[in-house]
Amino acid sequence: MLKGTAASDGIGIGKVLVIEEVSLDYTPHTVEDKDAEVARFKAAVDAFIVETQAQAEALKASAGAKEADIMLGHISMVQDPALFGETEKLIQGGQCAEQAFESMCDMFIMVFSQAADDFMRQRAADVRDVKTGVLAQLLGVHEVKISDAPADTILLVKELTPSMTAGINKDNIVGIITETGGKTSHSAILARALEIPAVLSVENAAALMKTGDLVIADGSRGEVIQNPTEAELQDYTAQRETFLRNKRELEQFRGKETRDADGTAYELVCNIGKPEDAGKVLAGDGEGVGLFRTEFLFMDRTALPTEDEQFEAYKKAALALKGKPLIIRTLDIGGDKEIPYMGLAKEENPFMGFRAIRYCLKNRNLFRTQLRAILRASAFGDVKIMFPLITCMEEFREARALVEEIKNELRLTTGIPFNENIDVGVMVETSAAAVIADLLAKEAAFFSIGTNDLTGYTMAADRGNADVAYLYSVLQPGVLRLIKRTIEEGRKAGIPVGMCGEAAANPHLIPLLISFGLTEFSVGAPSVLNVRKCIARWTKEEADKVAEHAMSLDNEAEIAAYLESVI
Amino acid sequence: MVSKHFTVPNAQGFHMRPATTFATAMNKYPCTVTIKFNGNDVNGKSLMHIMAACIKVGSEIDVVCDGEGENEALAEAAEMIESGFGE
Repeated sequence: MLKGTAASDGIGIGKVLVIEEVSLDYTPHTVEDKDAEVARFKAAVDAFIVETQAQAEALKASAGAKEADIMLGHISMVQDPALFGETEKLIQGGQCAEQAFESMCDMFIMVFSQAADDFMRQRAADVRDVKTGVLAQLLGVHEVKISDAPADTILLVKELTPSMTAGINKDNIVGIITETGGKTSHSAILARALEIPAVLSVENAAALMKTGDLVIADGSRGEVIQNPTEAELQDYTAQRETFLRNKRELEQFRGKETRDADGTAYELVCNIGKPEDAGKVLAGDGEGVGLFRTEFLFMDRTALPTEDEQFEAYKKAALALKGKPLIIRTLDIGGDKEIPYMGLAKEENPFMGFRAIRYCLKNRNLFRTQLRAILRASAFGDVKIMFPLITCMEEFREARALVEEIKNELRLTTGIPFNENIDVGVMVETSAAAVIADLLAKEAAFFSIGTNDLTGYTMAADRGNADVAYLYSVLQPGVLRLIKRTIEEGRKAGIPVGMCGEAAANPHLIPLLISFGLTEFSVGAPSVLNVRKCIARWTKEEADKVAEHAMSLDNEAEIAAYLESVI
Repeated sequence: MVSKHFTVPNAQGFHMRPATTFATAMNKYPCTVTIKFNGNDVNGKSLMHIMAACIKVGSEIDVVCDGEGENEALAEAAEMIESGFGE
């Protein structure tokens, strides 16, 4: 078995087709008729543009507009005055078109591959693609036609380029194996857009397999099985069936409301970290945003973001969601996250230190700026405010009083529109907040349980510390009791209670959450359909039975085993 | 010759899309467009040069336009940069 990177889910079983890179060898020579050579170069670029445009059209149909944009970007590159113009100068200096263009491309490939930024490094792959394409035109060689591949083909390429992807017929290509590329590479993004299982970065793949070999490409685990046995073939065929069946089943939940088997409705929303992610929420069929982390606005920069800059970011997310709820969590920053310009001191114990709401209440100007920006954005959608790391009433009251103060300012001095009745809620992520949920519920408009920190604080265990990570589990009786209490106290007071930690997407926990009375699940966009499906299978009565039994058990191992047995 | 100083405001800096927008717009003008950044002269009409310069949010840059249409070019450059490329 060969190991690689799991880049696109699913299992492909078929025969290998090795795509050899076409030879782009040439002998550099000096040219006499320089104008004719420039004309030859221009003709090659024109032909490249025509071909790329056709490929972009094909890609748009098979993988979507975003992927096609990558190819249109290649056209901008080849027409760039630096690349095009400098090549022309080199030709006028006597070099042949191949050599002139290649040396210009190589220069940019070198610059881009040394960039500190991952996104810029990816541009090196684009320039390489452009170089190959134009050289092929100049030399009159043509890349292998992937569109002619027979049914049940597993493509084996060094690197999947957008131009190759354009030729892929989804009915015939059942898997992709490459020698390079990580989870965020073009190859991976393209494979996922085409929904073809892909295993990337398999070392020496081309030397180890040849065209015609029977292989299994497991894109979910990142494994390639060469010459599988009859038993392996049966096993993986069955796994593939299950995978495809699950996928089909999940698709049936797209566009549906989130309801349990009794018909009770729930809100199924998403966690995001950037305004651009709001689009992914809708694409993933999320019903809004239950947690918008605002830290991104403060990271990777040298000074605090201005009110306008924050306002634009929040407004952008609110508009993208078209009236669906958007819970914005105020700055959750502290000793463990380095933001040099904020002058946060190193602390002995950052998780119990000066962070989140504590920091914001002491740095009023920064906090006021963020709250003003959020309030202004509330005129553009269903925006709510959530405070992180609340541990006592005073913190919540002080923060909420500040919101009222800013509302007054906006009303009196500026006449800027905002939502007068904006909801202000608490992120319940400390044991203290869960224990005083009865008190908080009287004044908060909503709760959202942050299970990651709640589990860590309650169990006093860092999941990154291998010696104590075994304690870190949301299924610990201590954690479950706090979750139950928070939800029940919220319900008693008649406020909605959501959950925005990873646990909200955990199928084992879902019956318990339904039984306790959770009203909102906030999960990663890719989990939406699965959570909707998990919720749909439980009636309140069945969920109550499971919850009652689980809560009667006195240790995590038994609870986990029991929940595994009932789902 | 006209020039103006900027602190790049948009989170993405001069990434692919902003760089393409900028270079495309600048190519409409006959004058030269140079971005002075970190002691380097970057060709403001070249998407590739701009991207290779890795101009990020918070970067201090000067845009220099020289030749026919320099005032119009600088005005359009300023509008794009200051609006954060509509990010």
